[in-house]
Amino acid sequence: MEVLREKVEEEEEAEREEAAEWAEWARMEKMMRPVEVRKEEITLKQETLRDLEKKLSEIQITVSAELPAFTKDTIDISKLPISYKTNTPKEEHLLQVADNFSRQYSHLCPDRVPLFLHPLNECEVPKFVSTTLRPTLMPYPELYNWDSCAQFVSDFLTMVPLPDPLKPPSHLYSSTTVLKYQKGNCFDFSTLLCSMLIGSGYDAYCVNGYGSLDLCHMDLTREVCPLTVKPKETIKKEEKVLPKKYTIKPPRDLCSRFEQEQEVKKQQEIRAQEKKRLREEEERLMEAEKAKPDALHGLRVHSWVLVLSGKREVPENFFIDPFTGHSYSTQDEHFLGIESLWNHKNYWINMQDCWNCCKDLIFDLGDPVRWEYMLLGTDKSQLSLTEEDDSGINDEDDVENLGKEDEDKSFDMPHSWVEQIEISPEGTNILEIKEWYQNREDMLELKHINKTTDLKTDYFKPGHPQALRVHSYKSMQPEMDRVIEFYETARVDGLMKREETPRTMTEYYQGRPDFLSYRHASFGPRVKKLTLSSAESNPRPIVKITERFFRNPAKPAEEDVAERVFLVAEERIQLRYHCREDHITASKREFLRRTEVDSKGNKIIMTPDMCISFEVEPMEHTKKLLYQYEAMMHLKREEKLSRHQVWESELEVLEILKLREEEEAAHTLTISIYDTKRNEKSKEYREAMERMMHEEHLRQVETQLDYLAPFLAQLPPGEKLTCWQAVRLKDECLSDFKQRLINKANLIQARFEKETQELQKKQQWYQENQVTLTPEDEDLYLSYCSQAMFRIRILEQRLNRHKELAPLKYLALEEKLYKDPRLGELQKIFA
Amino acid sequence: MNQPCNSMEPRVMDDDMLKLAVGDQGPQEEAGQLAKQEGILFKDVLSLQLDFRNILRIDNLWQFENLRKLQLDNNIIEKIEGLENLAHLVWLDLSFNNIETIEGLDTLVNLEDLSLFNNRISKIDSLDALVKLQVLSLGNNRIDNMMNIIYLRRFKCLRTLSLSRNPISEAEDYKMFICAYLPDLMYLDYRRIDDHTASVSLSVSQPCETDSSSPQKKLAEAKHQYSIDELKHQENLMQAQLEDEQAQREELEKHKTAFVEHLNGSFLFDSMYAEDSEGNNLSYLPGVGELLETYKDKFVIICVNIFEYGLKQQEKRKTELDTFSECVREAIQENQEQGKRKIAKFEEKHLSSLSAIREELELPNIEKMILECSADISELFDALMTLEMQLVEQLEETINMFERNIVDMVGLFIENVQSLMAQCRDLENHHHEKLLEISISTLEKIVEGDLDEDLPNDLRALFVDKDTIVNAVGASHDIHLLKIDNREDELVTRINSWCTRLIDRIHKDEIMRNRKRVKEINQYIDHMQSELDNLECGDILD
Repeated sequence: MEVLREKVEEEEEAEREEAAEWAEWARMEKMMRPVEVRKEEITLKQETLRDLEKKLSEIQITVSAELPAFTKDTIDISKLPISYKTNTPKEEHLLQVADNFSRQYSHLCPDRVPLFLHPLNECEVPKFVSTTLRPTLMPYPELYNWDSCAQFVSDFLTMVPLPDPLKPPSHLYSSTTVLKYQKGNCFDFSTLLCSMLIGSGYDAYCVNGYGSLDLCHMDLTREVCPLTVKPKETIKKEEKVLPKKYTIKPPRDLCSRFEQEQEVKKQQEIRAQEKKRLREEEERLMEAEKAKPDALHGLRVHSWVLVLSGKREVPENFFIDPFTGHSYSTQDEHFLGIESLWNHKNYWINMQDCWNCCKDLIFDLGDPVRWEYMLLGTDKSQLSLTEEDDSGINDEDDVENLGKEDEDKSFDMPHSWVEQIEISPEGTNILEIKEWYQNREDMLELKHINKTTDLKTDYFKPGHPQALRVHSYKSMQPEMDRVIEFYETARVDGLMKREETPRTMTEYYQGRPDFLSYRHASFGPRVKKLTLSSAESNPRPIVKITERFFRNPAKPAEEDVAERVFLVAEERIQLRYHCREDHITASKREFLRRTEVDSKGNKIIMTPDMCISFEVEPMEHTKKLLYQYEAMMHLKREEKLSRHQVWESELEVLEILKLREEEEAAHTLTISIYDTKRNEKSKEYREAMERMMHEEHLRQVETQLDYLAPFLAQLPPGEKLTCWQAVRLKDECLSDFKQRLINKANLIQARFEKETQELQKKQQWYQENQVTLTPEDEDLYLSYCSQAMFRIRILEQRLNRHKELAPLKYLALEEKLYKDPRLGELQKIFA
Repeated sequence: MNQPCNSMEPRVMDDDMLKLAVGDQGPQEEAGQLAKQEGILFKDVLSLQLDFRNILRIDNLWQFENLRKLQLDNNIIEKIEGLENLAHLVWLDLSFNNIETIEGLDTLVNLEDLSLFNNRISKIDSLDALVKLQVLSLGNNRIDNMMNIIYLRRFKCLRTLSLSRNPISEAEDYKMFICAYLPDLMYLDYRRIDDHTASVSLSVSQPCETDSSSPQKKLAEAKHQYSIDELKHQENLMQAQLEDEQAQREELEKHKTAFVEHLNGSFLFDSMYAEDSEGNNLSYLPGVGELLETYKDKFVIICVNIFEYGLKQQEKRKTELDTFSECVREAIQENQEQGKRKIAKFEEKHLSSLSAIREELELPNIEKMILECSADISELFDALMTLEMQLVEQLEETINMFERNIVDMVGLFIENVQSLMAQCRDLENHHHEKLLEISISTLEKIVEGDLDEDLPNDLRALFVDKDTIVNAVGASHDIHLLKIDNREDELVTRINSWCTRLIDRIHKDEIMRNRKRVKEINQYIDHMQSELDNLECGDILD
C-alpha cells in the first residue's frame, strides 16, 4: 500500500508537470496557429488524480497480526465426508498407476525433479491431483467468464506462500476447505480457479511450474497501478467546423515574448532538474528493487492456470496467475518453466526444454513427443489416427510408451473426491431493491429502494390519475424531502417536477401560456396558533416566492419579466426582465410597498422611492408614478395569486400522498378488455352470447329434424321414389304423427285423471279424519291440495292447448310433406 | 359636464374639452389622484369617448398617437378628417353623424371595428387600407347599389356586416345576394347567417334539402352561381396577373442587384439601333442584312456572357457578405455572452456585499466595505470595456479584410466586364468597317449607275457623295459606341456606389453598435454606483 501510494504521488507530480507543459505548448501553438485540431488528451487530469487518491484512501487493508499460517492443526477434519478420509478401490488403483508412472519417469529422466502427482489432502490421505479438481459451474452469472472467476479467486482468498519455495507442497487441500478458510497457496488457488473454469466450459489446466519472484510473492510493485489505467474513453468525434473566412482573430496577446521565453527557460530548467532528480530517484528505486537478482531465479515453484484456445471462443492460449487474477500471454517472462500440468481427466508431463522460459513451448497436448500423458483414452491423448497406427513402430522409444504397456487402456479418471464447491453469498449487504410491477391500476411500474440512503423511488407509466411519472421520497409524511415528476402534457398546468424540502418547494413548468417555468417558495416556521382548532389547516407562512418565466416572443424584452421575487415578509417585490438580444444588461425593478402616512395624516399612495428601477433603455412612460402604481397593484394581485398557487400545490401534495397510500393499500389491477376471463363485463356479455348461440343451435337442430327419415330407412337407399311409394310414405308419416298426437293427448288426459282421482281420494280422507287431524297434518293437507290443484290446472291447460294445436300441427306437417323435394312425385300428382 | 343635447350650437374640439374628457375617463380613486397629480399625456391615452357633444369638426386629435378606441358618435360631424395620426386605432365609432362620404381613413391600417351607422353615406368606398376590418356597420344610410357589396369582397377578415335600413336592403334578394357574394360573413344585420336566411328561404322559394349545416348559403350560392363564377374568374385572373408581374419585378430586381439587367438578350443591341436612323436606313443596303444578323448574334452572345458572369459574381459577393455577417454576428454573440457572464458573476457578489453592508453596524467597517464595492464596480467596468475594446479591434480587422476582399471582387468584376465590353466595341468596329466598305462600293455602283436594287428614298439620299455616306456611317457608329459606353459606365458607377455604400454601412453599424454598448455599460455602472451612493447616504442618515 505504502509503495503504491508513493508511486501514485510520483506519477501525479509527473502528470502535473506534463499538464503544465502541455498547456504551455498549447498556448504557444495557439499563438502561432489560431485554430488547431485539438489533440486527444492522453495525460491524466488533476481531477482524475484526485479521484484516484480518494479511491486509494478508501481501500482499507487489515493486516492480520499473525502470519497466515495454514497448517493442518487449524483445520477441523471431523466433519469432512468419507471421501476425504479414505480412497475408493478405483482411486487406489489410480494411485498405483501413478506410482508406476512416477517410477518409470524417474528412471528415464533421473535429472528431473519428482512429479507432483498425489499430495496428501487435509486428512492426510494421498489423492491424485486430477481428482482434486472438481469442475463446477457457479450459479452466479457474474462468475461465468474467466476474468471474473480469476478476480473472484484472487479477491476471496488470502495468499499463503509455499512452505518451501523450491518444492511443490506436500499437501493439496480440497477447494471446499480452501474456500472455507479463505486462504491457500498457489496450488490451492489454481486448483479452485481451474475447477471453476472447467465448470464454465473453458479448456483449463492446472500448471506446476516455475515462476519469477514477483509472481510467487504476488509482488505487484512493478506493475502499473490499475487505477491509473483509464478505461478507453470513446473518442468523441468533434466535428471541427472549418474556420470561416471572417472568423475574428483571438485577442492579441500582450504578454512580453521575452518574458515568456525567460519563463519557459526557467521552467525548463526546473523541469530538467526535477527530471534529473526523478531519474535519480527512479534509478535508486530500480537499484533497490533490482539490487538482488533473484538467486533462486527459475527454481521457485509456482502454480497457475493455463487456458487453451478453442472452447468458449478463446482465440489463443493464455495463462492466468491465480494470485492476482491477471491474464498473461504464454510468452510472458514471469513464467519460467512448466514441469507438468493436469486437468480433471489427465496428467501431462512437459517434455520440452524450458531454457527460454515458456516462450517456445507448444501447447499441443496431443503431441506425445512434447507432452507425456499418463492415462490413455482421453480426448487429447493422441495427435491423430495415423500416429496411433504407427505406435507399434514407436515402441522403441522408451519415453513414448512409458508406463503404458501394462495399463488397462480404457482406464479413466475416477470421480473427484471433493465435495461440490459452493460459494454462498454470505455477509452481503442489500444495497438496493428493485421491484417491477405490471397491470397495476395506479400505473406503478418500478419501485426502487436504496437501502443505504433509504430513498424510495416509484416510477409510473403514463395514465396515473395525478399524472405521476416519478415519485422519490424518504417518508410519506408531508413537508419532507420529496421529488415528484409528472407527465406534464397530461396536466393542465404543465407541471414537470416538484421538489420539496422541509422548508422549500420548487416547481418546474413547461409549455404554459403565461411562460412560467419555475416557481420556488420558501417557508418560515409555522406559527403556533393559540386556539388549536384541529380541523383548520395551519399553512406555513411563505417567506419568499421566486418565479421565472421563459421569454415571451410577443413582448419586447424590456417588458417581458424573466424573474420576479416576492419577498412576502419584507413587502418587497423584485423584477428582473429579459435581456434584449443585442444587450448584455437587463432591466430591473424593485417595488417597496410601505403603507405610510405623511405628515398631514394622508395616506401616501405612491412615492418615487417606492420603485427603484434600472432600465437599459430609459423610457418616459415608465417614470410616471401612475405607471408604477398600476404595475405595483398588478404585482400585488399576482403575489396573492402566486401565494394561492403555492398553497394549492401543498394541498395537492397532501392529496397525492393520500391517494398513493390508498393505492398502495388497495393494489387494484387493471384488466385488459381482451382479457375475457377476468374482465367481468365482457365475461357476462360473452356468456350471454354463448347462451343465445346455444339456444339458437337447439332451435336449428329442431327445425332440421327429418320426419321422413324413419320411413325412408325402410326403403332401399339411393333410389328415386315412385309415385305410389311417395303416397304411401306420406300417409304413413301422417298417420304416425296423428298417432303421436293422440298418444300425447291420452297421456295428458291420463295424468289429469290420475291427479283428479288422487285429489278426490285425499279430500275424502280429509273429510273422514278431519276431527282427529293435528294442525300440522292439516297444513300438510292444505298445501298438498293447493299443489294438486295447481298441477291439475296446468294439465288441463295443456290438454286444451294440445287440442287446439294438434290439428294445426297436423296440417302443417302435411303441407311440409307436400313440399318436401324427396316426395316430388306427390306434387306431380296434385299439380 | 355634458351639454344638454338639445342645444344645437356646434362645439369645437379644443384642448379643454379633450383634457376634461381624458381626466373624466382616466383612472379612478388612488390611481386617479396620482394621475391628477402628474397629469396625463394625450399620447398615453388608449381610449377616448366624445359622444353627444355636438362636435362639428374632428380636430386636435393628433397628439393621441396611441389611441386604440375612439368614440365620436352622436355628433354632427360632416366629414371624416383629422384622424391621420391615429395609426393604432382599432375601434372607431362615427355613428349618428352627418357624414356623406367615406374618406380620410387611409392611415388606419389597424382598424378592426368601424361603425358608420346612421349617416348619409351612399357609396361604400375608400376603405382599401383597412385590411384587418372585422366589423362594419353601415346601417341606416343611403346605399342603393348592390354593386357596393362586391367592393366588400376584398376584406378577408370581415365577419360582421350591418346594412339594414338602406335602400338596398329593401331589395328582394338582398340577403341572398350578400350571402352569395360574401361567403365568409358570419353575421348580417345582427343575426347569424344560417338562422335568418333559413327563415327567409321559407318566404322566398320552395323548401330545399336541409341536410347540410348551412343550406341557405348553398341556396344563395346556387342562385348567384353564374355571376359569382364570373367574378371569381376575373378575380383569379387579376390575382394571377399580379403574381406574374410580381415575379417579373423580382426577377428584374435580382438582375439589377447583379448590375446586369437587360443584358440577357438583345436589349442593348436593340437600343443601339433605336435612335439610329442612319443605321436603320443603311441596313437596307444589299448584304448589310446578313451582316447585321451575324453581328447581332455575336453581340448578343457577348451580352449573355456578361449577364451570366454578372449573376455568378453576384452570387459570390452574396456568399461573401453572408459569411462575413455570420462571423461578425457570432463574434458579437460570443462577446455578449462573456459580458453577461461577467455581469452575472458581479451581481452575485455585489448583492451579497450590499446586504452585508446593510447589516454591518460599525461605521469604519461600512466605509471599508463600500470602498471595496466601488472597487468591484470599477473593476467590472474595466472588464466590460476591455471586452468591448477587444471586440472593436477584432471587428475592425475583420471588416478591413472584408472591405479589401469585396473591393478586389468588385474590381475584378469591373475589369472582366470591361474586357467583354471591349469585345463588343471590337465587333462594332468590325461591323463599321464592313458597312463602310459596302456603302462605298454601293456608292461607286450608284455613281457608275449599275445598281440593280431599288433603294428606299431616305437611303438613296445618303448616297450623294462619299463624305455624306462616310459621315452617315460614322454617325451610326458613334451612336452605337456611345450606347455601349453608357451601359458600361452605368454598370461601373452603380457597382462602385453599391460597394461604397455597403462598406459605409458596415462601418456605421459597427460604430453604432460600439456606441450603444459603451452607453449601456456606462449606464449600468452609473446605476450601480448610484445605488451604492444611495446606500451610503441612507446609512449616514440612519
